[in-house]
Amino acid sequence: MPMITLSDIPARGGSPFTPAMGVFLLALSTAPFWLPAVGLYQYLGIEVAIWLIFALGFNLLFGYIGLHSFGHGAYLGIGAYAFGLFQQEIAVSLWGGLLAAISAATIAGGIVAAFISHRRGIYYALMTIAFGQIFWFCAIKLHGVTGGEDGLLGIPRPDFVLGPIRFSLADNTSLYWFSAVLLALVAIGLWRLVNAPFGRVLQAIRQNETRARFVGYDVWRIKWLTFTLSAAFAGLAGGLFSMAQESAYPDVMSLHQSGLIVMMILVGGGLVSFWGPVLGVILYFVARDVIGGITETWLLWFGLMFVIMVMSRPEGIAGLIHVARTRLGHAPAGRSAPKPTEV
Amino acid sequence: MFELVPHIINGLTLGLLFALIALGFTLIVGVMEVINLAHGAMFALGAYFAMTTIGGGWFGGTEFGQWWLTLPIGTRYAIGVIVGPLMAAGAGMILELCLRPTYGKAPLYGLLLTFGAALVIEEIIRLSWGTGEQSLPVPQAINGAFFMGGLIFSKYKFFAAGFAIIAIFGVWAFLEKTPYGAIIKAGAHDSEMVRALGYDLSKLRLLVFGFGAALAGLAGTVMAPIWGLRPHIGIDVIIPAFLIIVVGGVGSFWGAVIAAVLVGLSVGITGAYAPAWSMLSMYLLLIAIVGFRARGLLGRKSALEN
Repeated sequence: MPMITLSDIPARGGSPFTPAMGVFLLALSTAPFWLPAVGLYQYLGIEVAIWLIFALGFNLLFGYIGLHSFGHGAYLGIGAYAFGLFQQEIAVSLWGGLLAAISAATIAGGIVAAFISHRRGIYYALMTIAFGQIFWFCAIKLHGVTGGEDGLLGIPRPDFVLGPIRFSLADNTSLYWFSAVLLALVAIGLWRLVNAPFGRVLQAIRQNETRARFVGYDVWRIKWLTFTLSAAFAGLAGGLFSMAQESAYPDVMSLHQSGLIVMMILVGGGLVSFWGPVLGVILYFVARDVIGGITETWLLWFGLMFVIMVMSRPEGIAGLIHVARTRLGHAPAGRSAPKPTEV
Repeated sequence: MFELVPHIINGLTLGLLFALIALGFTLIVGVMEVINLAHGAMFALGAYFAMTTIGGGWFGGTEFGQWWLTLPIGTRYAIGVIVGPLMAAGAGMILELCLRPTYGKAPLYGLLLTFGAALVIEEIIRLSWGTGEQSLPVPQAINGAFFMGGLIFSKYKFFAAGFAIIAIFGVWAFLEKTPYGAIIKAGAHDSEMVRALGYDLSKLRLLVFGFGAALAGLAGTVMAPIWGLRPHIGIDVIIPAFLIIVVGGVGSFWGAVIAAVLVGLSVGITGAYAPAWSMLSMYLLLIAIVGFRARGLLGRKSALEN
């Protein structure tokens, strides 16, 4: 069976009201009620929501435009530090902190993207690693600003203030609701974006960059924009992350973490479906908690599972679901157009 | 200027050691167009196996273990230097078998598979050897320090650098002067033609992967006394190897060696002025060089660019 790609699964127009989105929003809005019942805990919901924001934004770059960044943890880390520094040095403010996190990551991402957007393939990936490592290295060495290896500690969780509404985010349930609402907005926004003409252009660039340029698209600018945009989402996730952890530390910026997010996306099937990253992130965190509860070496088993996945079904879980649905005859039949050859 | 001399010498030795690490990596990238992210894990595996061989840890109190420990450390070290790379080669061959389904697909899949394998091997190392920092013993003759021109140098570093030079020329001679090298290079250039000429390409790939992994294991065995041994050393090692390949140009043997020496020198010289930041200089070197020369110093066009 030939491999499927994102473009082979037809988009359902631009409407965000698809069955998958319905299931996703339902799960998101009921999670606090059933999470404890199935033996998990509230904080896991926050973690998953944060990493989902990161992963969905990252997949715009990784899956849709097909640029393989292996240093994206850096922008999450920059967001986390920016949020923490804003709280500690300027003012304790939720919106200010998140804005600082997003803008810091966007600026850093924009600068890096300007350096690398004329690169392709493996050289692109290598440059993202180099820049990611630079940020990570600076985070460790700039003791005065970032607190070195320990990171910034004791970052407060500011109150939620919107007009007359004000409530505390200090407990995990309310922080979950806040992250979940942001995640829902991000998911709907990204869904609209990838099904808009812009999303089609991204896929055209993935399939054949040269052809997209000949058709008249400014490929450099679109690559730059996509990288910067995904860095901005990483920044938002980073801001929430430092709020959840009440600290910011360089570990999230390491190559290891940046590789893990790529793993999550691939296992879930981010290369073939918008929802792939969601499946992958959930699987990763549930595996960490469930297998991690049984054995210390859960990464060994997760890694083995990943290796087997790449060997047998590189399209990931979303690809498996798609194949199963096609076999059962439920899926909208794939378009009859010949498959675009990936170059 | 004179104060810089020890730093330049340090940088040179470091560069030669980096070259040793990058050799196997560039071989596999050049011949198979697979970015082997598990190269660092092979490095670690080789070093750990060498350490166990030298220390006799797994034989414990058995008769063989007792007898083993009566051997002089020089002999045990020499055997360790052979066993470590062999074990790494075995692991590399297993990895190559796992990689087979990814051939012909986007290079991303090979890269991801080896990343997963690196995670798995790291965890296996944690399981088998524990998580703590360990050290690899070396014979007295190459241990300690010596003085030269009023400066103090580590004997082992010079031994390792000499070892690296021998290995570099050995691999070069193997690739350039033997028929096997010719087949390997031909396989990198046009694999279909090599197959048409009747060479078993899958066996060739298996051997190249094993050879590359053995070089990684050898680098690990030689480097471990300098850098120490910890389970995540693979990740620390893969980054300079990666960088060197890109700076030197994917698939270029001498490009990798020159890049390694350049990286070593830049780390050594910045170490003279800002020790804490010395590792940063190699990333800046990468960005400076690849910013101007898209394919590195001596790179040629590769399928990995698409």
